[in-house]
Amino acid sequence: MPYYQTWEEFVRAAEKLYLADPMKVRVVLKYRHCDGNLCIKVTDNAVCLQYKTDQAQDVKKIEKLHGKLMRLMVSKETHSSAMETD
Amino acid sequence: MVLLENDAFLTELTRLFQKCRTSGSVVITLKKYDGRTKPVPKKGQSESFEPADNKCLLRASDGKKKISTVAYSNLLRAHIDGLKKKDKKSKSKKTKATQ
Repeated sequence: MPYYQTWEEFVRAAEKLYLADPMKVRVVLKYRHCDGNLCIKVTDNAVCLQYKTDQAQDVKKIEKLHGKLMRLMVSKETHSSAMETD
Repeated sequence: MVLLENDAFLTELTRLFQKCRTSGSVVITLKKYDGRTKPVPKKGQSESFEPADNKCLLRASDGKKKISTVAYSNLLRAHIDGLKKKDKKSKSKKTKATQ
């Protein structure tokens, strides 16, 4: 279960995994205020991608990705058009 | 597991974050939801549900309490905004520390 070192790689892998099978993939966010870190995990129960951070600047990136994936999940049209709006 | 309306979920989620400020974690899970209310049948084709494509399941937990909601596209932006303000406020001390 590797922790990605670069945000860009994680985003690319996460989006790819989700688009492969939207119904299977889930996104898990774990926030620990006492330790001051946030961990995001994207998995389809076969592949597991994780990214961890303690930087406030990464929170915005994580939240953007989370929102993007949410929007993909609720969009009625096919995936590609929803991704272009970002 | 408590299933809530979107607004109530947001309120409870805020409360969860506040409770866990001194210890513990808040786990939020997000998954695409197609409107199924019954488990997938092993034999026979009882397709009694119509697959919906515009919903997702949101769950949150602090290790003890669990809440969940079904979110539709129009509510999601509000949720992310609510979350962002909370996180930025509590994480701002981290940026100051590293700089």
